[in-house]
Amino acid sequence: MVLQFFRSSGHDPIEEIEAILVGMLRDAHVVYQTATEAVFGAGKSKEAKATVKGTDKQINRGQEQVRQMLMVHGAVQGNLGTDLPVMLAYMSVVKDVERVGDYAKNLYDLARYGADLTVGPDADRLEETRSSVGAMIDEAADIFESVDLDAARSFLARGDDFLDRCDDEVKAAHASQGAVSDAVARALFYRFEKRIAAHLMNLVSSLVLPVDELDYYDEDKDDR
Amino acid sequence: MHSDLTPSDRRQIPAPVRALIVVALLYLFLVGVKMLEGGIKGLGSEYTDAVFASVSSPIAALLAGILATVLVQSSSVTTATIVGLVASGVLSVEAAVPMIMGANIGTTVTNTLVSLTHVRHSTEFSRAFSAATMHDFFNFLAVIIFLPLELLTGFLSTSAAWIAGLFTGAGGGGGDFDSPIKAAVKWGAGVIERIPEAIAASETIGAVLVLVLGIGIIFLTLGLITKNMRLLVAERIERTLNAALAKSGLIGMAVGLLITMSVQSSSITTSILIPLCAAGVLAVRNAYPITLGANIGTTITALLAALGAGSIDGLTIAFTHTLFNLAGILLLYPIPRIRFIPVVLAEKLADLAQRRRTLAIAYVLAAFAGIPLLGILIF
Repeated sequence: MVLQFFRSSGHDPIEEIEAILVGMLRDAHVVYQTATEAVFGAGKSKEAKATVKGTDKQINRGQEQVRQMLMVHGAVQGNLGTDLPVMLAYMSVVKDVERVGDYAKNLYDLARYGADLTVGPDADRLEETRSSVGAMIDEAADIFESVDLDAARSFLARGDDFLDRCDDEVKAAHASQGAVSDAVARALFYRFEKRIAAHLMNLVSSLVLPVDELDYYDEDKDDR
Repeated sequence: MHSDLTPSDRRQIPAPVRALIVVALLYLFLVGVKMLEGGIKGLGSEYTDAVFASVSSPIAALLAGILATVLVQSSSVTTATIVGLVASGVLSVEAAVPMIMGANIGTTVTNTLVSLTHVRHSTEFSRAFSAATMHDFFNFLAVIIFLPLELLTGFLSTSAAWIAGLFTGAGGGGGDFDSPIKAAVKWGAGVIERIPEAIAASETIGAVLVLVLGIGIIFLTLGLITKNMRLLVAERIERTLNAALAKSGLIGMAVGLLITMSVQSSSITTSILIPLCAAGVLAVRNAYPITLGANIGTTITALLAALGAGSIDGLTIAFTHTLFNLAGILLLYPIPRIRFIPVVLAEKLADLAQRRRTLAIAYVLAAFAGIPLLGILIF
């Protein structure tokens, strides 16, 4: 540890924080994949539970680490100058990344309650939503890592359409005449998927929006 | 919002250039110490005897050390000046020891003042104030224990003289030692000293000008060294602190030592810890060994100054500073029962100050200004 002082990492501390955020997103994708496999036919299992819980804890630890590193950065740099906006933004978006892990974990709870989303006339739509959000997690990580501003704007535009579709599906589940357990599972599934997408949008928006406009993508468009 | 700036963009001046600037500043710092020494010598024995008489009481010398350090907000400036005074012969090693101990106490005012910025948030303030004042209490305790012992036995200065003798091969007992650094510094000081000596109306005025210029150079160069080194090693400090947050004991001490040695200021190290403790990111008890490491790290400045001055007595007083801080740690830290006494005292004071904020202000004013001023008048 003391020798670390003499070693040069070659990375800026802010870049190290960005790498942790990307790592947290990759972990969130693991939680998401494991959880959705369980709710899409594989069912609950000890292994899946251990992966979901263990990886989520890792994400939480990443959040603590980012907050600590931001505090240390602020304390050491003193006159923050150019770093202050990015520090405030990362303090905000690290919570979004952590929530992606949380909602992915909630999807696993559906499998624990016995839900199986491969059964029913809407199975294709459910599967499409599942794979869309899985791809969004990876895409958000890539955009954040590469600082691709055009891709960020495109992601946000597509994201809004996705949020609307999720709302429509929740409404449809509420109005459905089928079994209550199926309706509840679908309402919760679309709700969780919507929240994951919204938190990913919050993260990606940090590339293109000023600090004061962050953190509103998990609200309805009209309320932002 | 993503960080588009590279580390070098943030630093603006390339690291190798900044490192060269630091080396040049270090040289100028040593020149400043040499000029201080030369200026005092040039004043003659009448003046130097008067200075010596004014600090003949150890208590007065201790309080003068506190006050001088509080005024310049840097124990490095005070200890470098003391080394210059000892090297010039105006102060004996014995008379300088309490001053060095006072400088140790005085330097803690900076992080205590930093902790007061958290005064509006009760819990934060309590943590920040205890993190700051544990340094005060450690140094108070060290002085309470070691000043009487040193006055009775001279164990610190005798040991320091022995170590200085080992380094210089002179076997202690005063005098000068030769080194390439000393020769280079003497040349630089000689060049600068010619200017005030040429414009001064008398030898005494010339000596005063050299003295003032020397102190000015010490003050300025140390400030610039600290500023540049902080920029130069900020990322290393960050990385090391991030890794050390949950650690305690010797690792923390080594971290504090390294950071302080590199930035030449214990105040920088301890002041960085205050917001971290206030936010709860760093536990006060984990900040404690880092603070103790900073106490040792800060003694590097006096050692550097002594190398430039080339006086065995100067080197002795610099080693006394190091030994005093080491002895404090060796006495208070290894035994778990007494290890955290300074922290407990600081937490109790912080608890009181949290309930009555004016107490915190009163403490700072009394400990770092009122008592030293009053004490100097009495003793």
